[in-house]
Amino acid sequence: MEIIRQYLPFLIPLIVIELGLTVAALIHIFTHKTYRKGNRVLWVVLSFVQIIGPVLYFVIGRSDE
Amino acid sequence: MRAYLAFTKKEFIENLRTYKLLILLAVFLLFGVMSPLVAKLVPEIMQNLGIGGIKITLPEATAMDSWVQFFKNVGQIGLLVLAVVFAGIMSNEFSRGTLVNVLTKGLKRHTVIFSKLTAAALIWTMSYLLCLAVTYGYTVYFWDMGELQHVFLAFFSMWLFGLLLVVLLILGGTLFKTFIGSLLLAGGAVVAMTLLNISPKIQKYNPVTLCGDNTALLTGVKNASDFVPAVIICIALVVVLTTVSVVVFDRKQI
Repeated sequence: MEIIRQYLPFLIPLIVIELGLTVAALIHIFTHKTYRKGNRVLWVVLSFVQIIGPVLYFVIGRSDE
Repeated sequence: MRAYLAFTKKEFIENLRTYKLLILLAVFLLFGVMSPLVAKLVPEIMQNLGIGGIKITLPEATAMDSWVQFFKNVGQIGLLVLAVVFAGIMSNEFSRGTLVNVLTKGLKRHTVIFSKLTAAALIWTMSYLLCLAVTYGYTVYFWDMGELQHVFLAFFSMWLFGLLLVVLLILGGTLFKTFIGSLLLAGGAVVAMTLLNISPKIQKYNPVTLCGDNTALLTGVKNASDFVPAVIICIALVVVLTTVSVVVFDRKQI
């Protein structure tokens, strides 16, 4: 517990950013039907792969419509 | 000039709406937090591991460890993310045919290149400064900063290398008109420079030094004179490659 408290100033921003990216990707995935590459299941799974998953979705998977 | 400002503004709006700005800022913010965290955690993890009864004691983490992590994260994954995000900078326009309208209305072709370069460079600068500021904040909070050598040069070099990467992506995009072409040209150039780095004589002049040896510069192991030639060559490359992009783009069918 003591150790966790010590690292809290790091952990909170880390969790907020990572969750934020994942949630942003998920919202976009579920509000759009078509993707440039891949399908919904793939992107939902990938958006939980931290950092690189949501980035890949927004760069490659997100369709323009 | 008005066209340039308008097109640069359009680039910013595009980067905002395609989430590219958000992604880069988030990723670099993440690295900013992660670098000091890893520096702080590693000695503790190693101490608690004790492989096969052997107790490993590492010296307490210092501010320098935090900067080592910073340069490692930004110089590797950070630049990779930058490349992936901006690889479509030219190819998107080609594949959607969005440039045809503005160019036939009289927008100069070189304006397109300069605007894209400006927007991408500004976004890279913002992300990099954010990452730097966050790491600096944590490092100052947790450790005694001590004596750092050549601070400006060490951080400026990394930024300059990122700029070279952006220019390479734009050149790749104008040459091959595809996302992959852009990425391959930039990746190929980095691989080529890394291979050249094997020869110690070239290291001084090789731009790839700028994103690899920054910590040696901070600790004072390397001198400014080991970096300045590479910095000059990198600036020259940025100028030359931008000019080449403009010339190639002028002759390209859209």
